[in-house]
Amino acid sequence: MTRPTSLPLSLRVPLITAGMMVLVGIVASQQVMATLGAVQEERLRELARLHVDGLTVALGPAVLRRDVWEVYDTLDRAKQAMAGQRLVLTVVADEAGQVIAASNPLRAPVDSLIEPLRQGAQPVETIRLTGEEPHVRVLSGLVFQGREVGTILSELDVSDLVAERRRVLLWLLAGNAAATLILALGGYIAVRRMLHPVAELAAHMARADGAPEAIPEHRIPAGDTELARLFQTYNAMIGAAAAKAEAERRLAERERFVSLGRLSSSLAHEINNPLGGLLNAADTIRTYADRPEVVRDSVDLLDRGLRHLRDVTRATLEQNRLDRHGLPLKPEDFDDLKLLFAPETARLRQTLDWQVDAAAAALATLSAASVRQIALNLLLNASTAAGEGGAVGCTVEFRPEGLCIAVSDSGPGLPPEARRRLLSDDALLPGTGVGLRLVRDLVAGLRGRIDYSRMPNRSVVQVTLPIGGDTC
Amino acid sequence: MDRRRFLGLAAAFTAAPALLSGAEPIRLGLTPVFLDNEAEVITRLRDAVGQGTGRPIDLIQRRTYQEVTGLLLEGGVDAAWLCGFPFLQHEAALALLGVPVWRGAPLYRSYLIVAAEENATDLAGLEGGTHAFSDPDSNSGWLVTASDLARMGRKPETFFQRALFTYGHRNVVRAVAGGLTRSGSVDGYVWEALAQVEPELSARTKVIARSEQLGFPPFVARRERIGDETMLALQTALLSLSATPPGRAALNLLQLDGIIPGDLTLFDGIRQRMRDVTG
Repeated sequence: MTRPTSLPLSLRVPLITAGMMVLVGIVASQQVMATLGAVQEERLRELARLHVDGLTVALGPAVLRRDVWEVYDTLDRAKQAMAGQRLVLTVVADEAGQVIAASNPLRAPVDSLIEPLRQGAQPVETIRLTGEEPHVRVLSGLVFQGREVGTILSELDVSDLVAERRRVLLWLLAGNAAATLILALGGYIAVRRMLHPVAELAAHMARADGAPEAIPEHRIPAGDTELARLFQTYNAMIGAAAAKAEAERRLAERERFVSLGRLSSSLAHEINNPLGGLLNAADTIRTYADRPEVVRDSVDLLDRGLRHLRDVTRATLEQNRLDRHGLPLKPEDFDDLKLLFAPETARLRQTLDWQVDAAAAALATLSAASVRQIALNLLLNASTAAGEGGAVGCTVEFRPEGLCIAVSDSGPGLPPEARRRLLSDDALLPGTGVGLRLVRDLVAGLRGRIDYSRMPNRSVVQVTLPIGGDTC
Repeated sequence: MDRRRFLGLAAAFTAAPALLSGAEPIRLGLTPVFLDNEAEVITRLRDAVGQGTGRPIDLIQRRTYQEVTGLLLEGGVDAAWLCGFPFLQHEAALALLGVPVWRGAPLYRSYLIVAAEENATDLAGLEGGTHAFSDPDSNSGWLVTASDLARMGRKPETFFQRALFTYGHRNVVRAVAGGLTRSGSVDGYVWEALAQVEPELSARTKVIARSEQLGFPPFVARRERIGDETMLALQTALLSLSATPPGRAALNLLQLDGIIPGDLTLFDGIRQRMRDVTG
C-alpha cells in the first residue's frame, strides 16, 4: 500500500483539500439537518399544542361527566374537519387511564386501558422526531377547572416530515459530493499550478544522469519571491557542489603525486642501486672486450638491470598517467603496485606478504585508476604504521560479494582520527592528511565497503568492491 | 341551480310579505329527529309553514326530546313536532295536529343496526356489547329496543355492557359506523333517508332487526289550544303543505309525502311497548 507521504505534493494537497471539504460538508450537513429537525419539531409542537389546547377546552366538561358520546362526537367532528391532515388518532382517557372515547374506537375501544398506547408517547413540550417512524405519539394531561381530569393521547402523521428529512439529506449528500468534487478538482489544478516550479526544481535536482543541473535564469519565477529565492539558493548550491567536486578531483590528482612523491626516494634507490652494477658491467665490457664470455655475461647483467629500470619507469609513468580514467583493471596493475611499493618496504626493512589471486575477466569491470589509488594509499599507510622492520601484507582475492583487497600491517592500529577519516563522512580537521578520506570517497564511488579490524598485533583494512556494479 | 334550491328561493320571496307584516310569530318546537342538514330543512319548513299560515314561524330546537316536550307543556312553544312516545307520555295534555306520511303511510319502524362487518343477527346476539340509543324519550331510538328487552325479561343497562345516548338518530348511525358502539337503535325513517343522502355513512352499518310499523312522530299542541285561531291556521298550513310549491320543497327535503290529520290508534303499538317496559 502506498503511504500518504509517498504521494506527490501536487496530489496530496488537493486530497487534503478534498478531505477537509468532506469534513466541512459533513459538519454543515449536520447543522442543516439539526436545524431542519428543530424547525420540524417546533412546527409539530405548535400543532400538537394547538390541538391539545383546543380539545381541552372543548372536552373538559364532557370528560368531567365521562360523556362518551360528547367526547366521541367532538373527536369525530375534529377528525372530519382535519381530514387528510396530520392527526391520525386521538384518544381521551379518564384519570384512571380508561378510554372514554377515541377518534377511532376500533383502535381504542371505550373502557379499554390507554396504557398500551402510551408506549413511546412523548410530552407535547418535548416532542422529538427520531428515526424513520411515520407516526409520533403525543401525551398531554387534560386540565379542566384547574384539575387534571384525564389524558389526551394523539398520534400524528409525520411521514411527510420524515420524507422531507430524507430528501434534504439526499440533496445535501449529492450537493456536498458535487461541491467537494469541484473544489477538489479546482484545488488540484490550482495547487498543481502553484507547485509547478517545485516540480521543475525537483526535475532539475534528479536528472537522469544523476547530476543536478542549474535552473536557467529565465525559468526562475518572477514575482514569487519565496520560490525565486529557493531557485537562486538552489543554483548557488549547484555551483558550490560543482566547485567541491572540482576541488575533490584536484585533490585526488594531487594525492596521486603525493603518494608517488613519498615513493620517489625509494624509487631513486631502486634506480640508483643497479646503476653501480650496470656501470661496472660497462667497464668490464670495455676492459674485456676481447673475451666474449665475459662480455656476454656483462651484457646479460646490463640487460637485466636495464629491463628492471624500464619496468620501474613504466610503472611510475603508468601510476601518473592522466588519461587512465575509464581503463579496466588488469592483473598487471597489481604487479605495477608491487613494483612501486616493494622498494619502500625494502627501504624500511619490512617484510611484504603479497598474495594476489584475481582473474582478468572479473577485474575488468572495475576502474584501474580508482583501485590502484585505493590499494597504493592503503599500502603506504600500512607501511608507515608498521614502521622500521615491521610487516605489511596485501591480499587480493575474489569472494561471492566481490573483489576483496585486504591490507594488513603490524603497527599499533589506526588512531581514532585516521579511523574517522577512513570509516565516516565526518568533516576533516584542518591540516590532516586526505589520503584515507580519498580512499573512502573512491570506495563509495565504486559502491564498495570498508571494514577495519584490529587483532592482537595486526591491523587489517579490508575493502570489498562489488563486481559488475552490484553492492556487496 | 337545482330544483330544490330554486323552490327554496321562491318560497323565501313569497313568504317575505308575511314576514314583513309584523304579526305575532307562531313558535314551533322541533326534536332533532332528522338529518344533519338541519339548517336547510329548517329554512324550507319555516318558509312553507309561514306561507301557509300567513304568519312568521319561529322554529325552536333543543338537544333532547325532554327539553322540547317541556317547552311545549309550559307554553314556551305553541306546537311541536314530537315523537310518538313523549306524546303518549303526556297524552292528557296534548292533542294531534297532524301526522306526516312517509312512503304512503303515517307509519315508520325502529331499526336495530350494527357495523357492516358485525356477525350478530338479532338483539339477543348483542348481549354484553356497547349500544347507542338516540334519546331516552325516543320511541324508535330507545323504547322499541327497551321493550324488546323487557319482553326478554332484560333491561338495557344490564343487557348491554355499556349503553349511551347520542341525542340524534344520525349520531346513532355515526356511533355504530365509527365503531364507538357495537349496535344502535335508530329511527328507520332517518336511516333510510341517510341511505339516500349519505350512503357512505349508512353503508358502514347494516340493519339486523326491524320493528313492526308504528305511528310516525306527529305534530302536536297543547290540548286546550286546539281550535284556537293560531292552531287552526297552523294545522291548515301543515295539512296543505303538499299542495304548495314551498310545502312540497320542504316535504321533498324531508323525504315525506305530506301530512294528514291522523288518529290516536296509529300509536297503539307504541302504547303497547310503553306498557311492556313499565311492566
